[in-house]
Amino acid sequence: MSANARAEEPVSSPAGAAGTGSGAPRAGEAAAGSGPVYWRSLDELAGKPEFRQWVEREFPAGASEWEDGVSRRHFLRLMSASMLLAGAGFAGNGCRRPVERLEPFGQMPEDYTHGMPLYYATAMPEHGSAVPLVVKSNDGRPTKIEGNKLHPDGNGGTDRFAQASILNLYDPDRAARFTRGGNPCAPEAAFEFLAELGRKAGQNGGQGLCFLLEPGNSPSRARLVQAMSRNWPQARWYVHDPVDLDIHRRAATLAFGRPVEPRWQFHKADVVVSLDCDFLGSETDVHNHIRRFSERRRLESGQDTPMRLYIAESLMSVTGFNAEHRLRLPASAVVALAAALAAQVRNSGASNLEPLAKAAGLEAGWLARWIEACARDLAAHRGRSLVVAGYRQPLEAHLLAYAMNAALGNLGQTVLFLPAAERREEGLPELAQALAAGQVQTLVVLGGNPAYSAPADLDWARTQRRAGTVVRLGHYEDETFPLCDWHLPAAHYLESWGDARTSDGTLVPIQPLLAPLFGGLTELEVLARLAGAKTTEPYGIARETFAGLCGAQPFEAAWRKFLHDGFLAGSAAQSVAVSLDEAAVAAAVGRVEQPGQLSKERLEVVFQRDYRLDDGRYNNNGWLQEMPDPVTKIVWDNVVLVSRKTALELGVKDSDVVEVKLGERTARGPVWVQPGMADYSLGLTLGYGRRRSGRVGSNVGFDVYPLRTTGGPNLAVGAVVRAVGQSYAVSCTQTHWSLEGRPIVREADLEDYRRRPDFVKEADAAEEELPVAAPLYPNPFDALKAQGLHQWGMSIDLNRCVGCSACVLACQSENNVPIVGKEQVGRGREMHWLRIDRYYKGGPGAKESFRDAFRPEAEQQFERWIDDPQVVTQPMLCQHCEAAPCENVCPVNATTHDQEGLNVMAYNRCVGTRYCSNNCPYKVRRFNFFDYNKRPIGQLYLGPFGHRRADEWDLIKMVKNPDVTVRMRGVMEKCTFCLQRIEQAKIAQKVKAGASDQVLVPTDSFTTACAQACPAEAIVFGNLNDPNSAVSRRKKLDRDYSVLKGLMTKPRTTYLARVRNPNPAMPDQPPGPVSARESGPERGGSG
Amino acid sequence: MEVQLNPLQAQGPGHGGAVSVAEPPPELERAPLVANNRSFGWISNRVASLSEGAAPRWWWVLFIPSVLALGMLLFLVSYQISTGVGVWGNMRPVMWAWDIVNFVWWIGIGHAGTLISAILFLLRQRWRTAVNRAAEAMTIFAVMCAGIYPALHVGRAWYDWWLFPVPNSNSIWPQFRSPLMWDVFAVSTYFTVSVLFWYMGLIPDVAVLRDRARTRFRQFVYGLLALGWTGSNRHWSNYEKAYLILAGLSTPLVLSVHSVVSLDFSVSQLPGWHTPIFPPYFVAGAIFSGFGMVLTLLLPLRSMFKLQDLITMRHVDMMCKVVLATGSIVGYAYAMEFFIAWYSGSPGERFHFLNRALGPYQWAWLMMISCNVLVPQLFWVKALRRNLVVVFIVSILINIGMWFERFVIIVVSLHRDFIPSSWGYYRPTWVDICTYIGTFGLFFTMFLLFIRFLPMIAISEVKGVTPQADPHHPLGGARPMEVLHHA
Repeated sequence: MSANARAEEPVSSPAGAAGTGSGAPRAGEAAAGSGPVYWRSLDELAGKPEFRQWVEREFPAGASEWEDGVSRRHFLRLMSASMLLAGAGFAGNGCRRPVERLEPFGQMPEDYTHGMPLYYATAMPEHGSAVPLVVKSNDGRPTKIEGNKLHPDGNGGTDRFAQASILNLYDPDRAARFTRGGNPCAPEAAFEFLAELGRKAGQNGGQGLCFLLEPGNSPSRARLVQAMSRNWPQARWYVHDPVDLDIHRRAATLAFGRPVEPRWQFHKADVVVSLDCDFLGSETDVHNHIRRFSERRRLESGQDTPMRLYIAESLMSVTGFNAEHRLRLPASAVVALAAALAAQVRNSGASNLEPLAKAAGLEAGWLARWIEACARDLAAHRGRSLVVAGYRQPLEAHLLAYAMNAALGNLGQTVLFLPAAERREEGLPELAQALAAGQVQTLVVLGGNPAYSAPADLDWARTQRRAGTVVRLGHYEDETFPLCDWHLPAAHYLESWGDARTSDGTLVPIQPLLAPLFGGLTELEVLARLAGAKTTEPYGIARETFAGLCGAQPFEAAWRKFLHDGFLAGSAAQSVAVSLDEAAVAAAVGRVEQPGQLSKERLEVVFQRDYRLDDGRYNNNGWLQEMPDPVTKIVWDNVVLVSRKTALELGVKDSDVVEVKLGERTARGPVWVQPGMADYSLGLTLGYGRRRSGRVGSNVGFDVYPLRTTGGPNLAVGAVVRAVGQSYAVSCTQTHWSLEGRPIVREADLEDYRRRPDFVKEADAAEEELPVAAPLYPNPFDALKAQGLHQWGMSIDLNRCVGCSACVLACQSENNVPIVGKEQVGRGREMHWLRIDRYYKGGPGAKESFRDAFRPEAEQQFERWIDDPQVVTQPMLCQHCEAAPCENVCPVNATTHDQEGLNVMAYNRCVGTRYCSNNCPYKVRRFNFFDYNKRPIGQLYLGPFGHRRADEWDLIKMVKNPDVTVRMRGVMEKCTFCLQRIEQAKIAQKVKAGASDQVLVPTDSFTTACAQACPAEAIVFGNLNDPNSAVSRRKKLDRDYSVLKGLMTKPRTTYLARVRNPNPAMPDQPPGPVSARESGPERGGSG
Repeated sequence: MEVQLNPLQAQGPGHGGAVSVAEPPPELERAPLVANNRSFGWISNRVASLSEGAAPRWWWVLFIPSVLALGMLLFLVSYQISTGVGVWGNMRPVMWAWDIVNFVWWIGIGHAGTLISAILFLLRQRWRTAVNRAAEAMTIFAVMCAGIYPALHVGRAWYDWWLFPVPNSNSIWPQFRSPLMWDVFAVSTYFTVSVLFWYMGLIPDVAVLRDRARTRFRQFVYGLLALGWTGSNRHWSNYEKAYLILAGLSTPLVLSVHSVVSLDFSVSQLPGWHTPIFPPYFVAGAIFSGFGMVLTLLLPLRSMFKLQDLITMRHVDMMCKVVLATGSIVGYAYAMEFFIAWYSGSPGERFHFLNRALGPYQWAWLMMISCNVLVPQLFWVKALRRNLVVVFIVSILINIGMWFERFVIIVVSLHRDFIPSSWGYYRPTWVDICTYIGTFGLFFTMFLLFIRFLPMIAISEVKGVTPQADPHHPLGGARPMEVLHHA
C-alpha cells in the first residue's frame, strides 16, 4: 500500500487503530462515567494494581519480563493490550475487563489487516517550525517517514532530519527513567513534585520559577504558557536554540516595524542573490526552500529560463553548489558586500570597494564589475528577484537585504511576510544573569542540552548549579543530566500527542504511532502538570487547543479529519503588506564597518549548523552520522575546513590535527582542505565531540562549542591555528573530486543549450569512439520485455537536484541499509544503495594539468585549479542496465533480470564472489563484508564473539522494514528500485482488478523511497510503457542521457543534463561549464 | 663445477668389452644429462636414500616453521570464515585484491610442472627427467594453495558447492556464462590430471622404495602405493602407454587452465581487464613464474642433497633459457597492452594504462616491469646463466615480479575505473599478509614431506637418459672418461 492510498481510503483516527495506545480510554475508568480518561504511559498502566493482578494471574511466567525494558515480546504485548483497550473503549463495554487481551489481535481492530502497513499523518517539530509527515506503521511500529503530500504547502518531500528521526525513536540510549539526584525514582514522585511546584508557584505568583524552552510554535504549548504566565506573573521564560534561526523574524520585525517573519518565494524569482544564506542546506524549512527553488529550475525546453542564483559565502555550502555565480568571500566581509550591492541597487551612491576587495583577496575593479553586473541583473528583474541573508550574518546584512528587496519591488512578490507572534521570552544570556544573581529558585528545562550547547562564556555547567532546583525533561541522559535534580525522560514525537504549525502557519497534529517505549513524557504534559491543569494528558490538551482553533465546524468530525489529513485546511497564515522602515535601514547601513584584513595570524572562524547532526541533537543517530556530509563527503567526524591557500600557508594538510585558538579558548580538530572556501576562513561545524552521548555518538569528532561565545555565536575573527603534530584518520566517501573530463555529468549554459538542444548527444560521441554495435552482455529477457505490462525506469534531473541527501536517508530507512561505522567507511565499505556524487570543476581560467589525474588523492589539495570550483552533484544508484554487466559474471545466477526490466538480486543465492561489483561500471553494488546488521560496529572484527546488547538488538529489529530482507554477511546488495513497493502496488491493483484484466498499475500511483523523499522532485520513477507517466515524459526531453552510454549497458536510470543560466556580463563567467569544456571536442578522447 | 670421475662406474652393463669405434669430435658432443658417468645403481641409491634414514637437520629447520605457518593459515581461514571477508583489506572498488592476486600467482606457479612433464615429454626434451618429479609436486601443492583462495574469498564459503552443477530441488543451475564457473572446471580438472600424472610417474620409483624397505611399515605403505609394480615388460609397456596418454591429456590443460583464469578478467569490461591478449600472455607468464619457482626450489635442494650429477648445469641453463624466452613474451605483452590502449582510442583504456604507469600504484608497476622484463634479460649472458647465485636471485625476483603483475592487473585496474567518485586506494590488512604467508606454510609443509618420503627425482626416467642407456650411442653408452671430461 502506498502513501497515496490514503487519499481514497480513510485511515481511522488513532483512537480506533493500531499503535496509538495513549489515545485509548482506560476501560475501568470509562465505566465510572467520568468521561474518557486516557492513560499516559505504559508504566502507569502497568503500575495499576488491577492491571498487575491481571498480568500475574493470567500469565505468571511473563510477569517478570515486564520489568526488562524493551523486548519484542514486551512490545507486542503492549501493542495488543493497547489496541484491545482501544477497541473496548469504543465498544463502550469498559465495565468488564476483557480477558482475551493477551491474545494479540484476537479482536481485530478496525481497519487493521495483519501484515498490512497503516499510514498516519503527524508532524515533526523542528526549530520552531514543523514538517508535515505521513508515517508508515507495520504491526504497530513506525518504520518509515514520508512527507505529507496532501499538505497545502508541501509535495511529500522531506529533509534529512525527518527521514532519520525514526531511528531516534528506537535509540536504546534514550532517557528511560525518572531520576532524582541522579538516582532512579518513581514517576509518581516526579509528578507529585511537579504538582507541588505548581501549587507553590500559585501561592507566590511564580517567584523564582524559570523556564528554559526550545523554540516551538505549538499552539497548545503557547496556550499553556500563556495561562501559566497569566497565573504566575513572576515566572520567567527563556528560549534557547544553539542555532539562532529566529534572526530572520527579528530582522524583518526591525525592518518593517511590525512583528513579521519572511517567507521566501523562490519559485517566483528569476534572480536570487544569497548573502551567505545556505537556504538549501542549513537554514530552517530547507525542504520547502528546495521544493520552491527546484520548481524554478525546471527546464522542459529552450523556452524555459531557469532561475539564476548568485551567492557570496565563505564556506562551500549546498546552496553554493547550485549557484551560477559564487563569490568566495570571508563571512565577515559579506555584510560589506551587502552594503555595496545595496548601494548599487538603491542608487545611493558608490561605495569604496577597496577594503572589501582587499579582505576578499580580489582586485577592486573586478569586484566592482561583479557587484555592478549583479545589481543590474537584479534591477532587470524587478519584482521577480530576491535577496536573502543567512542566519550567520548580523542583523545589518538582513536589513540591507530587505532594503534591496523593497527597492526592487519584491516585497509581497518573491518574499511574503507572515504575522509573527511577538516573542516575550528572553535568551540564555539573560537566564545566566538571573542565575548569577541568585534569582532562580527552580529552573525547569524543557528539551535542549544547554550544558553542551550554551555559549562558552556562560560557563553553563557552573551557572546552572546556581539554581535551587533544576527539573529537566530531556531526551538523553546527556551533558546536562548530571546538573539536574530531577530528570524526566522525554517522549519522541512519534510517541507524543501535540500540535504545531508548519512554516506557512498551517496547523498540523502531532499524533503518536505508539505508546512511549521508555515511558517518556511530552513537554505539554509537564507544563500541564506544573500548571495543575485539569487535563494533563497531551491528547486532551491537543484536543482542547484544537477546539479553540477549528472554528464553527462540528468538533469531532473536524478533529478526525484533522488527524486523518494531517493538517487543518485553511489555517495557513495570511501574508501581510509591509513597508520598509527607512530609518532602521539607514541606521543599519551606518553600522556597517569595512571588513578587516584577514591573514594567517588573524583568521576568521565560521560556526555552521551541521548538515547531519544539526546542533548536536542527532548525535546519537547512526544514519545521520554515516550520511556523507553533502559538501565534504566526510562521515562520523567534523573537521576544520580551510582553503587550499590557507592550508599551504599554515603548512598543514588534510588530517593534520590543529589547535584553533580564539582568544583564550581552544579546540582541536583535523584540518580538511575544502575547495571553494574563502581564504583565511575556518569552517567549524557544531554537534560533535559530545562527552556524554549514547553508544553511537560519544567521542565522535571534536567539540567547537568551547570556541563559541555570546558575542560571536556564528562568526568570530581573530583566531590562530597551530599544528599539533598529530594526524587523525578522517573517513571520506569520495576522495577523488574531479570528473577527469568524462561526460558523466553533462552540463551546458542556457544559451548554449538553446543553440544546440541536443548537446548531450554530442557528449555521447566524445565518450566512446569505438563503433560498439551490440552490448557485451545481452539481456536474455530482452525478448520477453514485450510481454511485461510494466517497464520500470527512473529519470534524475540534475537541474533540480541540489545534493541535499534526503534521498540517501530515505533509501536507508526503506531498505534496511545498515550502518558500518567510521573505520569501515574509511575502507570504502559503506552500504548506501544511493549515494550523491559530488564533483568539482576548476573555476575560470583554471587549467588542470595532465598529471593531476594520476596523483594520489591526498595530493589533490595542491591543485591550483580547484580554488573557485563549479560543483555538480549526481545521485548515483543501480542503473538497472538492460544489458547488465553484473549478471553475466555471477557464477551462481544470484543477480538476474526480470521481464519488467529490473536487475534483481537474490540474496539467498548469493555466495559473495563480488565479481558483479568488479564488473559494475557504476560501482553501485554494496557488499556485506561483515555482519553489519548482527554485530555492533565496534565489534565487527570479533566475528561470532561480537554481540549486540539485548536492548539494542531488540530495538534495532523494530526499525526494520518487514518487506525488505535484512542481509547477512557475505552477500552483495544494491538498489532494487524499491521492489517491495512495486510488488505492493501490483498486488493492490490485482486485488482491485479481481476477475478483470485491469492489472496495469495506475500511472504514477506509487514511487520509490528516494523519489518520494526528494523535495526537489529531481528523481522520478515509473512505468516506461506508459507514455503518460512522469518518467516517460522526462525521458523524452532533449536533455536526457545515460551515464557511460558507450559501454552499451542501456541503463534504465537516465539523467537530465544540468543547464546553468549564468549572466554573461559577470566577470567570473567562464565560457560554458568547465566539465562541458573538458569533455568537449578539444579534449574528448584524450582521457 | 667440480666433477668427480669414477672410472669403475663408467662401465654400463653389457658394455664391458673394448670397442674400436672412431671417437666423435668433441665439438659435436652434447654434455650428458647425468654427469660423471653415474651408474644405474648409483642413481637408485642416491635418490632413494634421500627418503630413507634420518632427516637432515636443515629439513627440520625448514619443516617446523612451515608447519607453524600452516597452523596460522588454518587459524586465519577459520577467522575469515567465521567473521567475514572484511578481515581482509578488500574494499569497494577493489573487491578482489590479495585473494585473487595470490590465487592467480599460485596457479601460475603450478604451470611449470605440467609443462615440463607433458609438453617437454611430448617434444622429447630429455633433460626434463631430472626436474619433472619435483616440478610436478610443486604444481600440485601450488594448485592446492591456489585453490584455497577462490574457495575462501567468497562471502559465504559454506555455499561454495553452489558453483558446481549439482542437481537440486530448486532447479537452479550455475551461471554457465560466468568465467568463475569455467574456473571451477578448469582448476579442478587441472588438479585431478596433475595428481594422476604425478602419481603414475611415481609408481616405478615407489616400487624401488618398497624393494629397498628396511621396515615392515615402509614396505607395506610403499607396497600399497606401488600398486603391485614388478617392473615386468608388460607393466612397462602399459605404463609407457598410459604415461603418453596422460601427457597428451595434460598438454591442452597447460594452455587451458591459465587461459580460463585470464578470462576472469578478459570477459569483464573493466579497462585493464577487458583485453583479448590475456590468454597467451597469462600462459607465458605462468610458465615464466613456474620456472622461476622451480629454480628457486631446486637450486638449494640440488646442493643440499648433493644432486649435482643429476641436476646438472645444463639443466639450469635450459631452464634459464625458458625463463628468458617467456619473460620476453611477457614483456612484449606489456608493451602490446600499452600500444593497444593507445591504438584503440578508447579513453578508458588510455587512462587506465597511463594510470598504471603514473598513478598512485606506480611503485607496483615499476616492480613488475623491472622484475619481469628487465631482470631476465641478464640471461642472455651465458656466464650469468651458469652463475648459481645470480640464477637463484633472479628466480626469486621473478616470483616477486609475477606477484606484482597480478597485483597490477587486479588491484590497479579496479582502483580507478569509470566513475571517478568511486576511486579508492587499497591497502592490505595483517590478515591478508599472514594468510599469504600461511599458504607458503602449506606449500612448504607439503613439499618438504614430499622430498622426505617420495623420490624427488624420477629414478627410472633418469636412468633412461644416461649415456649408457642409449644403445645407439656410438660408444654404446660407455665411453672413455676423457670424452666426458671436456663437459
